[in-house]
This record gives sequence, structure tokens and C-alpha cells, in this order.
Amino acid sequence: MSGSTIETLRRMANQIARNFEIMGHVDAVEATADHINMFWDPRMKKQIFGDGGQDLSPIAKAAIEELAQGEIPAHQTRATEFNAVDDIGQSDAG
Amino acid sequence: MGYERQKDFGTPRVKSEKHVTLTIDGRAVTVPEGTTVMRAASEIGSSIPKLCATDNLKQFGSCRLCLVEIEGARGTPASCTTPAAEGMVVKTQTPRLDKLRKGVMELYISDHPLDCLTCSANNDCELQDQAAAVGLRDVRYGYEGANHLAEPTDHSNPYFDFDPSKCIVCSRCVRACDEVQGTFALTIDGRGFGSEVSAGQTLDNFMSSECVSCGACVQACPTATLQEKSVKKIGKPERAVVTTCAYCGVGCTFRAEMRGEQLVRMVPYKDGKANRGHSCVKGRFAWGYANHQDRITRPMVRDNIDQPWREVSWEEALSFSANKLNQIKRDHGARALGGITSSRCTNEETFLVQKLIRGGFGSNNVDTCARVCHSPTGYGLKTTFGTSAGTQDFDSVEDSDVILVIGANPTDGHPVFGSRMKQRLRQGAKLIVIDPRRIDLVKSPHIKAAHHLPLQPGTNVALLTAMAHVIVSEGLADEEFIRTRCDWDEYQDWARFVSQDKNSPEVLEGVTRVPAQSVREAARLYATGGNGAIYYGLGVTEHSQGSSTVMAIANLAMVTGNIGRKGVGVNPLRGQNNVQGACDMGSFPHELPGYRHISDADTRALFEKDWGVTLDPDPGFRINNMLDAAVDGEFRAIYIQGEDILQSDPNTQHVAAGLEAMELVIVHDLFLNETANYAHVFLPGSTFLEKNGTFTNAERRIQPVRKVMEPANGMEDWEVTQALANALGLGWSYTHPSEILDEIARLTPSFAGVSWDRLEREDSLQWPVNEEFPDGAPVMHVDGFVRGKGKFVVTDYVPTDEKTGPRFPLLLTTGRILSQYNVGAQTRRTANVEWHPEDLLEMHPSDAENRGLNDGDWTTLKSRTGETTLRVKVTDRVAPGVVYTTFHHPATQANVVTTDFSDWATNCPEYKVTAVQVMPSNGPSDWQEEYTDLSQKSRRIAGEMEPAE
Amino acid sequence: MSKEQRLSEIIAEHQSREGPLMPILHDVQAEFGCVDADSERIIAAGLNLSRAEVHGVVSFYHDFHGEPDARPVVQICRAEACKSRGVEALIADAEAAAGTRVKLATVYCLGLCSVGPNARIGDDLHARLDSDRLKKLIETV
Repeated sequence: MSGSTIETLRRMANQIARNFEIMGHVDAVEATADHINMFWDPRMKKQIFGDGGQDLSPIAKAAIEELAQGEIPAHQTRATEFNAVDDIGQSDAG
Repeated sequence: MGYERQKDFGTPRVKSEKHVTLTIDGRAVTVPEGTTVMRAASEIGSSIPKLCATDNLKQFGSCRLCLVEIEGARGTPASCTTPAAEGMVVKTQTPRLDKLRKGVMELYISDHPLDCLTCSANNDCELQDQAAAVGLRDVRYGYEGANHLAEPTDHSNPYFDFDPSKCIVCSRCVRACDEVQGTFALTIDGRGFGSEVSAGQTLDNFMSSECVSCGACVQACPTATLQEKSVKKIGKPERAVVTTCAYCGVGCTFRAEMRGEQLVRMVPYKDGKANRGHSCVKGRFAWGYANHQDRITRPMVRDNIDQPWREVSWEEALSFSANKLNQIKRDHGARALGGITSSRCTNEETFLVQKLIRGGFGSNNVDTCARVCHSPTGYGLKTTFGTSAGTQDFDSVEDSDVILVIGANPTDGHPVFGSRMKQRLRQGAKLIVIDPRRIDLVKSPHIKAAHHLPLQPGTNVALLTAMAHVIVSEGLADEEFIRTRCDWDEYQDWARFVSQDKNSPEVLEGVTRVPAQSVREAARLYATGGNGAIYYGLGVTEHSQGSSTVMAIANLAMVTGNIGRKGVGVNPLRGQNNVQGACDMGSFPHELPGYRHISDADTRALFEKDWGVTLDPDPGFRINNMLDAAVDGEFRAIYIQGEDILQSDPNTQHVAAGLEAMELVIVHDLFLNETANYAHVFLPGSTFLEKNGTFTNAERRIQPVRKVMEPANGMEDWEVTQALANALGLGWSYTHPSEILDEIARLTPSFAGVSWDRLEREDSLQWPVNEEFPDGAPVMHVDGFVRGKGKFVVTDYVPTDEKTGPRFPLLLTTGRILSQYNVGAQTRRTANVEWHPEDLLEMHPSDAENRGLNDGDWTTLKSRTGETTLRVKVTDRVAPGVVYTTFHHPATQANVVTTDFSDWATNCPEYKVTAVQVMPSNGPSDWQEEYTDLSQKSRRIAGEMEPAE
Repeated sequence: MSKEQRLSEIIAEHQSREGPLMPILHDVQAEFGCVDADSERIIAAGLNLSRAEVHGVVSFYHDFHGEPDARPVVQICRAEACKSRGVEALIADAEAAAGTRVKLATVYCLGLCSVGPNARIGDDLHARLDSDRLKKLIETV
């Protein structure tokens, strides 16, 4: 059942978008873009940017397009906010 | 240090604000009110003779040895059952007491073998000590009368013997099993002279009884009646080293008791703050893997995986690795290299592995096994609370009134904490269990959950939202807490969402299959029953909505005000000993130690300056992406320390394809594990007994790991990583892990105040340790959340893509069992296999009947991903439509059937939900056969005898 | 009805009482003539106790037996008062009379100290025993 890498990336993007959907389209697009920006390896980003939005949900597609244009979304949730260099507050220990 | 048992105060410590002062043998002593005379005497070093008393058990008053005289009191009361009172004047040594004690001792000794010189407890026996203390010189009754000296020994337990001929029937073992462990496996059989300690019923021995082999009875025994086989074999220990267990995330403290270079036994340390003197069958007994014959102690290399391994020198193995790494880097760039840190290794070792990858390899392709267990905890708690660590220490459970356990099985997975939880439940705390399976906590001796909600796997978010619906719509929310601690606007958005009809228990019953009424009652209990604490495990995280479930849990805690004090909180039960530490040390591809994002220039500058390197500013690959990229040729070399991803990660065939595609796989481990079948370099590792360093447990408690013996492979794991780094020309020169810890403290603000010297002095520290929290922080969010306000996050239930249908009508979920640990690399190489020799598939009787399956039949378990075979166990522990198995044995290969689906936010695999079909089996699956062949071929070592056909 | 079903009924009958174990054990002993290992296991599961705990209680009391014993029982008091009134002198004859057919059980005090030696068969008490009377009781039981 494991598909090619691009299929995996589409699935990941769609899944992120689906879980943010409840925020409403505009916010969900921003949150999806922010999430992908902070957690994806550049090669993964490059690959999905070059994929033409195939098989992506509207939210995922808009988020990918925004990132592909070089926009850096603001942090939408605390999950993408990290400690500053001398900060101790946050952890995302697994 | 010479060998001494830990001091025994006779009766438990008493917590009381009020104190009383009494006089014992002319000396004044002040103790908390309620303290016994025996303990008060112990506090001033006066040791009253005793046999049935020990300080982790409630006073019992049966041995009649601890009698004292109290001015103004009649007779000679037992000091273990007499509370100290203000102004009391006690004498512990008088001619009258001497005579009484000698008389009692004579009776004990008249039915005890006089074989002290050949006894395994010689010179380490409380009966012997007490006979000496009371000055016993003669036994007037002779030894001819009726006695128990011919009683046969029960050798059935693989780790300890029960020799009733030496038993004095003090009941300490029975009480330890009841009070400390909570299993109630032992009893006193018969009465009067015929009283005997018995495991289970008449025909039982220890192995067939309900005993879980935690060792509490052995520790409690004052004689050699219950004695470790290892002590009988090796002899009395001569020194003890205090160290930290390397199994689960509880982080028990043990005394490793040694004779020469040989480990004699591991004894739980009474001052250990996580375990408070208790242990489980793994930490206490299952350490034999450390010198198992399978252990590889010499480095090995090969050019490709079809070849047998060649044993080589360290120099050759390291230069072989370095040459290949350099070449791949030259040809394909730094981002083609990466590695995986281990949650089983120390903080210092993990720190060095990620330093090597980021600073040496030059990429951020570093990930860790937390990816596949608790990464959603990180995401979920950080989003809601601002920081993701568990909010409580383990002691907190003593103040809980309602305990909600979801997706965790503490009595198997975290047994020492499970026992502490059961102690609190027996005191009257209420229990809610949310689990598809009827785990032992639902109903076991003296424990009964008030509510068990057996939900359909994959519907956690729906169920928790339904509970939130009840709390909000029935007006049970703690508004004052929410207004002061949380973002009120966000709360209102969330409250509107959960209040919708579609989120009511009645509507969601169709999804979760849990009766709405049970959900309502459980929600009311959690919201109104006093201090409510939530404990959860991988049944929460290992789902496509793992992160959402963690957020739903956090929402429940906030809406009921169950945060920021003792007895409440949200508590992830970590799987491995150093999951917390591995994450703290920068094991995730997007962040440096201390949870600072790799894209942050200031943070990079700090590390670049200290390390003298340039860091890649972009996040690297997660494990699953590394494997995908390997198949595509983008990722070519991996250094894996102390992990067995082939067995532990989902979709085994996909993992195998990824590993097979790589040019260089370096496995650094104790054993030729399953992943090593695809490796080109094997670097032998060291056990936790062979190294210094620190582990950080689920409470954020940093605890020292101390070397008790020299590494069999010649190097501690941090030294191996350093040698590899130096082969790459990095010029590292650490001489002790304390220097690595200093570097961590220098570069990581939450560790600023941590040092090896300080841990030597203070035993443990709970981070953060810095100027603001100089002594660390046991409970978090006490006066408000660490960062700003608590955030309610709307968690929309999104069903998993993994769906049942006509071809795959059952849902498979996975878990673990008490005697085995994770992929079993350690525990399978110990006598623990006697309890769990193979993985079984649990199936409801109705599903079994439909398929014509009987208990013990071989079955094929098939999913969209693959198939495997294992035997079926028919049980109503699981609901119809659900099957369950463990994943401890490589032969089973449970992960051949698990899928690539994963948590939407963190890619933690969806191990807990796989649609499967089960049918009678005709033998091993094709993959199992192919893999067995490959495994045999791959494990060959040149020059070793080939096994005969 | 299977034994298991009957045991479930007995357990259900007493379950809500405070301290249900003893009445259950009495009923089981009365009904089946013993509380065997299987019964201990079922009672343990029913009351949420461990098997060991139930076995500890069963083995503590002389009135509960691990396996059925079809022999009639004669209880003979050998406590202080009956001893002083000569019970020990009756024992050898009583044992001979009992043989393997009758089970003799020693008890300590049947509450008739002034008129000993005493014995009990079922719910009937027998006082002022001498060797002949005791033998006859044993032979005709």
C-alpha cells in the first residue's frame, strides 16, 4: 500500500489541511502552510511545489501555492513557536 | 564502599505537620505525630529487635520481638504498633525484655535449619542478625519436635527460589505482594503450626500462581526463604552502586549489587524518587541480556548485505565508515546523510549523536524513536499548555481522587507506577478506563474501574469530545479556572463547538460504540469527583489523530481546572527510559537541544560558535521520510544508535526497502538486531551497566546512570560516537560524560544548573534547573501556564483512512505485556520469555467461532500492507470486531501488517488501527519465510561455524 | 445446572452483603461438600479477590474442605475442661471404633464444660460421654 514519495507527500499535506479545516478556509490555509514550512525538509517542499497541486484538497493546494511563492506564513499555533536562544519555556518532547 | 543493606526504619515514614517529643533510652527524639516508637528509636540509631516489621510495609505486630517497656503503661507493648506520644518514656533494653525476646527467638529457631554456614543468606540474614542481637545462646526445646525442615523448595520461578523450610511465617512477603505490588498472589495457607506461605492455591507453585515476579516478596523476606537464584549461585554481594533502570520511562532507581565484576542482583533503592523502593520483573531481574551469548563485542563490516560479516579492528570499522560517509557526502551532498538517536541511550550519548549528524555529517536528518511513540504529546501539549512535558511527578498520584487512564496499560507497560496507582485506587480513588481492551486495571483483585469505555479503535477524539460536551452542556466547567488561566475567547469558541448536537454522546455513540450513558457518567465523575488526573500512553498517540487526542485531553483538564497542583494534571506515560531526554537533547530534525528551531539564526550561531561548524538552517527528514527518500536515491547513509527500526517501525517491508536502498547503514547496538540484517557496519554497543551518564524519566527527572562494570565491547557508547566523529576529523576530546553534560548545560537554558557533581550530591533534578528554578520543578503550571494562557483547541474528529470492509473486517490494535519490553531485544534474551514465549492474537469468541478458530490455532493475519502468522488466543478481553497483539517477537512481525498511515501533525505511525482479516493458517507467510532466509544469511560472521543443515 | 452456574447464583445471592466471602463459602461447602480449587477460583473472580486470598480463608477454617469427604464426622472436644474430665482416655477406643469409616475431628470447646467429655454429630450435642457411649455413637453414626 505504500505509494511513491509524492503520493505520501500529497497525503501528508491533505491530512494536515483536513485537521485544520475546522478553523475555516483562510486560517486553515495559513496553519497548513506554517506547519509545512516549519517541519518539512526542503526537498519535500520542492517536490510538492513542483507537483502542480495534483490530488490536493483546496486548503492544502492554497497552502502549497502560498509557500511555493516564497511567502513565510506567521505562526498560527504554538506548535510552530519555538524557544528563543536563551529561552526555556517550550518543549515538544515526544 | 563495603556492602550494607539499606537502613530499615521498621515502619513507614509518617507525614504530619504536628510533632511529638519522647524519650527513648534516655535520649529525647522528636518525630511527626503518628510515627511508631520503633521508627522513632531507629531515627536515633537505637535498633529494637524486629522480624515482621520493615519500613515499606504497614506495621503488623506479629513477631513479638520488638517489645519495649513504656513508663506508666502495662505490660510490654510491641514498639511497631505503638505510636509515639508526647512525653512518653521508653526503654528498649531491660532484663525483662531480654528474657522475653530470647524466649520468642528460641521458638523461631527451634523450627529453623541450623545451616547458616551453607545458607545463601549467611551474613545477610535478619533472622541471624536478630538472634545475635538478642544474645541467643541456647534453644531449650531441642530440634526433635514437629518442624517444617523437610519442606521441598519451589524452584519454579526462573529468578528466585522459595524454600519454606527456612520460613518463619512473618508474612512480610504476603504483605509486600498486597500492599506494595497490589497483586495479592500470596497467602498464608492453613493455621497455627500448619501455617505456611503459599503462592496461589494448593496445587500452585510461584510460576502457576498470579505472581508477576516483581521481586517485592524477595526483598521483604528476612531470611533465605525467598532468595534470588543469582545470590545462591554467586554469593553475597560485596558492594553496591546506585544507578537508574534502563527499561521504561518510570526510571526506577536501583542498587546494582556486585561481587567483583559480576552483577549479583538489582535491588530497588528505597530513596529512588520515581519508584520509592519498588520494582518490576524487568528492572529487577531481566538484566541477563547484558552478557548474553548473542552480544556482539567486536566491530564488523561488509561491502554488501549478501556477504557474511567480517570482524575487524575498531580502527578499520571506523575508517571504513568514515571513508564511505565522506564519499557519499562528496557525491550526493550532506543531506544524503543522517542518523537516529536512541531513547535507550543516555542524554550525553544522544546529544553527541545529534551533534555528529548536525555538525559532522552536516545535515539535520536526525530523528529518534520518540517519532513513533510520543511525538504527538509534544505537539499537543505544546499547543495547549505551551510546554509539552508531563505536568506532574509520580508522587502526585497519591493525591488524586479520580484517575482517568486512556490508551495506557500501566500494570504491564509501567508496572511500578501501575502499582503506585493501584495503591491509591485501593484507598478509594475512582477509576475511569478508556480502552478498546479490558486491561487488568478494569477489573483485577481489589481494583474495579467505575467506568470502562471500550471504544472502537481510532475514535479517541470523538469520545473525548463527547465527554467535553457533557461537561460544558451540563454546566460542570470550572469557569473561574478558565477565566484566570486560559484564553477566554478561545474557550468560548471551543465550548460552542463541543456543545453542538453532533458532538453529544448520543450522536457519537454510532462512531465510538460506547453507550452514551456511560460517557455521561464518566464525564460527570471526572468533572466533579475531586482531583482528576489523566494518564495516557501510546493508545492515544499512535493514531492518525494522535496529536488531536492529546489536545482533547488537555482541553478536558483545563475545562475542569485539573491543572497546576498535586493530584491532577496530564501525564504521558513514556515508553522508554530516556524518551524525554532524547527529545530534550535535540533529536528531532527541526530543532536543536532545548527546543529551539533550526531556522533560528541566534540559536544556530550559539551552537556554531561552540562547535566550530556551520549548521544547515533547514529542517531535515523524519524517519519515514528518510526511508522514502532512500528509495528515491536522495538519502544514502544512516547511523542508527540503539534502535531496531526494522522491527519497531510500521510497514516492515517498506522499512526493509528503504534500508536496502542505502549505500551505508551503520548499526550501533548490543546485538545483531533485525535492522542489522541490512547493515554494512556494526559497531558494538555497551549496556547501561557499563557506562556513565544520565537518563531523564517521564517526570523530567534527570537521574545518574553509573558504570558498575567495564564495557564488554571496550568502549562506552559515547566513546564510540566520539571515535566515529574523530574518524571524520572532528577532533572531539571528551574524557568523561560529565564534560558532555557541561556542554549541554552551557548550550541549553533549561539544563543550566545541571552538573554531574550536583547529581552525585542530590541524586536527581527535575528540569528546568536554572536561575528561576534553582532546584528544579516537580509540578508544572502551578501559578499559571509556563507560557501565557492555556489554549483550548477545537479538535474535529476526522476518521482514519484505514477502514474496515468486506476484505478486512476486523480492527487490529497493538500493545505490550508485562514481561517483555518493546521489540524484546533485551527481554527476549532473559528468562522473561518463560512468561511470554510468543506473540498471540487476542480475538473475541464470536469472531473466533465465525472463523472456526480455537484457542491456540495458527492463523494468518492479513492487512492491505502484508501478512504474517501467529497463534490465536480466544478471549472476551477484546470486543467483537477488534483483535489485539503484542510486538515483542521478531518472528511474529506484527509490523508487517501495520500501515504507513500516521498522525497528521507528527507522522507518529498509526500502529493502533489496522484493518485486517484473520483466517486459519497453512504455515508462515511468504514474507516470513523470505525474511527468515535473509536473516540467517545476513547474520553470518566469517570464520564462525556455519550451523549444520 | 452446571456447578459453575450454581456457584454464580450463590455468589450473586451474597455479593451485596458486607463481607460476602464467609457466607458464600458456607453455602458452597454445604452444597458441594467442599470448596475445591475450581470453586475458589470462581469465587475469587466473582468477588474481585485473588485466588490466593480465597484459598487462604478456605484453608484457615477447619469447616471448609478442599475435597469432598463422604465420611460421617464426629467432633470430640479436647479442650481443658473435657481433658480434666477424662476425654484423653477415650481417644484410643474412639479411634479404633472410627476406623476408616468415620472421621473424628478434634474441636476445642462445645460450650458444655461442666458435663464433659462432649462430642457433636451434626447439630446434636452429646454430653457425659464414657468410652462405651462414645464408641456406640461412632459406630451408629
